[in-house]
Amino acid sequence: MLSRTAQGLYWMSRYVERAENNARLLDAGRRIEGLPGSEASGNTEWPSIIIAAGCRETFGEGLEEADRDKATYHLAFDKENSSSILSCFHSARENARAMRGAITSEVWTAINSTWSEFRTKTMADVDERRYVDFVETVLASSFTFRGAINSTLLRDERQWFIELGKHIERADATARLLDVKYHVLLPKADEVGAGLDLLQWQQILRAANALRAFRHVYREQISAPRVVDLLVVNSQSPRSLRYSYEAICDNIDNIGVHTKAQRAIADIARENRDKLRTADAHSIIDYGLHEWLTDMIVATNELANKLGESYGFFSQVDRDATEEDAADASNIEVCAP
Amino acid sequence: MVAYYDEMKDRAGIKPAYADVAEWAKATTADELRLRQNEAEGLFRRNGITFAVYGEGGDPERLIPFDLMPRVFSAAEWDVIERGSIQRARALNAFLTDVYGKREFIKAGKIPARLVEGNPAYEPIMQGIQPMGDIFSHIIGVDLVRTGPDEFNVLEDNCRTPSGISYVLQNREVMQRILPGMFRSGQVRPVDHYGDMLAAAMQSVAPEDCDGRPTLAILTPGHFNSAYFEHSFLADIMGIELVEGQDLFVEKDMLFMRTIRGPERVHVLYRRIDDAFLDPEAFNPDSMLGVPGLMRAYKAGGVTIVNAPGAGVADDKATYVYVPEMIRFFLGEEPILPNVETWQCADESECKYVLDNLSELVVKEVHGSGGYGMLIGPKSTKAEIEKFAGLIKANPANYIAQPTLALSTVPSLSEEGLAPRHVDLRPFVISGKGKTELIPGGLTRVALREGSLVVNSSQGGGVKDTWVLRGDRL
Repeated sequence: MLSRTAQGLYWMSRYVERAENNARLLDAGRRIEGLPGSEASGNTEWPSIIIAAGCRETFGEGLEEADRDKATYHLAFDKENSSSILSCFHSARENARAMRGAITSEVWTAINSTWSEFRTKTMADVDERRYVDFVETVLASSFTFRGAINSTLLRDERQWFIELGKHIERADATARLLDVKYHVLLPKADEVGAGLDLLQWQQILRAANALRAFRHVYREQISAPRVVDLLVVNSQSPRSLRYSYEAICDNIDNIGVHTKAQRAIADIARENRDKLRTADAHSIIDYGLHEWLTDMIVATNELANKLGESYGFFSQVDRDATEEDAADASNIEVCAP
Repeated sequence: MVAYYDEMKDRAGIKPAYADVAEWAKATTADELRLRQNEAEGLFRRNGITFAVYGEGGDPERLIPFDLMPRVFSAAEWDVIERGSIQRARALNAFLTDVYGKREFIKAGKIPARLVEGNPAYEPIMQGIQPMGDIFSHIIGVDLVRTGPDEFNVLEDNCRTPSGISYVLQNREVMQRILPGMFRSGQVRPVDHYGDMLAAAMQSVAPEDCDGRPTLAILTPGHFNSAYFEHSFLADIMGIELVEGQDLFVEKDMLFMRTIRGPERVHVLYRRIDDAFLDPEAFNPDSMLGVPGLMRAYKAGGVTIVNAPGAGVADDKATYVYVPEMIRFFLGEEPILPNVETWQCADESECKYVLDNLSELVVKEVHGSGGYGMLIGPKSTKAEIEKFAGLIKANPANYIAQPTLALSTVPSLSEEGLAPRHVDLRPFVISGKGKTELIPGGLTRVALREGSLVVNSSQGGGVKDTWVLRGDRL
């Protein structure tokens, strides 16, 4: 397979996943905003959503004043933001168009229709009444895209690079989603008491489509360690870090190791995976959830960059802005409670 | 008033080949037709089947209008088109082999040497090269027009990188989806083996040192190119890589592509970029699209280029008039499909005739395409005719003239329901080692504007599905 093709498919997949994750983040913001006591804590949910989306840099000045409208505009419609949902669908579609020969017409149709539908959407489509509809439409578009891949694409390198892109993006996103909780402040005089804390965790679970799974797996009350267990350690939850890393390693194995550089990368991926295999929620929390997640985000980004190099991807303007993100995460202490 | 040949019906009524189509059209209301038409266009849009011809400008992702009413050929009609197109392709390849080889056609005085060597499409670098199977132009588009029941004429040949085949296959795909009932009787011959046919032809001309299955690839200028859809479509149906210049490199006179496993050799390259951009070392040094060293590898026999550089010398409008003679000279046969009568303004007496009869003739630039830079005498104003007369006098060698042809019509969907519209046809002839063939079908272009004779997409032209019926139903 051409390196350029692998690169295009990988990024097509990452962009769709990123659009989906942005929609999930917006949904988490909406849900947390609606919780009682939210104003008392200074409405920190929207700035934290922007940080979690890795868009602090592109958002620019006035992060503290970010509200629903500003955050939604930047994460959904802002063409200047290469990670906005609109930009992601556009980039995914452009990559698909460039790789048209490597995907089936069903996959192409899925992404092309999505772009046709979203290109004309504006803030008017996310007013109060239609906010959830918008989020659901983004998710449904992503599901249609994945469904087309699943049902029509040969299980060969093309599929493996698409899966690789998806799971690298998802590992990054899940870590960031969990980290939202770190940035959302709890009111000092908490009238709701510990209840708000749990309700916030619940919204994170919902944004990860994992609330039902939570009930199914634990049959107990929501608690921080259990949420961390489900979204980090659990091997069956399709959005857990463990699951994503298992998939990353499987797909690297499927693609096969052909060069020394590729061998080195495969080893790093396995190390990360093994760390997740032996991790447990309590020790992660003892270590410091935010610090642990930051380590994971940095490690995943490093892995992604080296993977690209080893498969001969052409250098491109990396929309990921890895180092800034890493800086984001590590400098965050200054505004921590 | 000129009488145009109606392909669907003559004095005796609806022709047998059109029986099913006519019956269906009769039973379908105008609203229903329009509804189906919109459905078809929606499908084209959704599948991203967009197209534009070089130099026409406009939206790079526009649709060519698709007309729902098919064009139908009986087996007997197709037999003539098929044999005639194959004959023409064989002669054109023989001519190219001769031009870049022994030059017997020139030596015999059949064509002036200046028309060959002075031709901008002539590539001196090809002199002495003998491609595998003596095939220069593996894919030839033969543009045909019809003026009567048995009158088919060749309007021009396309020996470089003829486009439009993706429309042929997609038109059929859409028709089968929208009007499945029309295909149930199994009378319409399928066209979807085009990819296999082309892949087989490409494999047959792989370099001699290729043992095992040859690796094929299509070279595209990239996804911003107007015909990109077709490039990717072809790669898709053949299951081969769609490469760009940046994916390729030449080493030890062999061509390689960069893959995730390292370099992989390419044996046969179907290029969809012009000669000038193929190799910055040999042609345009500023080209970013091509592959440095490609011509070196080609000359050394390390890779086969489809179609070969320099093939354009055979499809030029000035060369065109000599094709019937090529058929006689190289094949010893009489042309099955005649040329359209052509006057060359380079010749003084012919030029005089052209100038005297401008209001009756169609005048074209020798190297022009896309329906631009041409004069259609009967449809032009006096001022336009005078302006063209000045152009011809200033540079006579740049112009040829032909009679204004009474192009046949096929019923097409118009504002007022079904109405006759003029059509042409481009079958695609594929030549491999020792084998020249074509799929039963081709690109039918239709001039959707009332009275228009210009079928180019830039000037209101659209496309139709082209049906060739099985032999048991003449």
